[in-house]
Amino acid sequence: MPEADRMNCPDCGAEMNHHADKLVYDSAPDDEDAGEGGFILEAHACPGCGRSATRVSQPGARAH
Amino acid sequence: MERPLYIPVILGTPRKGRASENVARFVLGEVEKREGVETELIDVRGLRLSTEDEGESVKDAEFSSKMSRADALVVVVPEYNHGYPGLLKHALDSNLKEYVHKAVGLCGVSAGGFGGTRVIENLLPVLRELGLVTIFWDGNFSGAQKLFDESGRILDDSYVRRVDKFLKELIWMARALRHGRENIPL
Repeated sequence: MPEADRMNCPDCGAEMNHHADKLVYDSAPDDEDAGEGGFILEAHACPGCGRSATRVSQPGARAH
Repeated sequence: MERPLYIPVILGTPRKGRASENVARFVLGEVEKREGVETELIDVRGLRLSTEDEGESVKDAEFSSKMSRADALVVVVPEYNHGYPGLLKHALDSNLKEYVHKAVGLCGVSAGGFGGTRVIENLLPVLRELGLVTIFWDGNFSGAQKLFDESGRILDDSYVRRVDKFLKELIWMARALRHGRENIPL
């Protein structure tokens, strides 16, 4: 995963694991994926403390 | 040392005289017997959810925090005309990101002999869309009004064995999914 895509745990600072992309059928913030009808929410979890975090995926910024 | 799992039990109906409360308290007691598992009862009756809007716009902060912390959920759901209680759906819909890649097990409750099998089938696609991972064991509590004595003690001990199977599978899935969330990249 490119450096810019990594997320660090807000609690312990460890690098979080990006474990899911969830399609959310909702009005998108500003990056609506017309082909899917919603937006992609990235789910991350911390291997150190278990903290979870999410962010809206930025199209084109990810390696996969 | 592995962090304890957190597996709350959601009592999915606010109705007066609900037989599901006995079921939820029974299941809660069985979860409490497991080492390395923390639990508590979450009663939809006690959630602060506006009914004037829906989804994440009506979040109850405490409920969302518990869903975020949870590794798995037990949902105790009565069958009302083959369906699930509206308030349970309203409560579940108030979160989304909190559920992704977490396990859920269902305990159906009915007055008749099918143990809530129809409401379980109806609820499964909802849970899937929320990002939860359903297990292949259910709890089926038939004849719920006569299944407990006045103190809430279950009268049919076979349910202890059945719920043991259900919880073993749920805990396995909770541990597997926690490992996956924290260690296996997409």
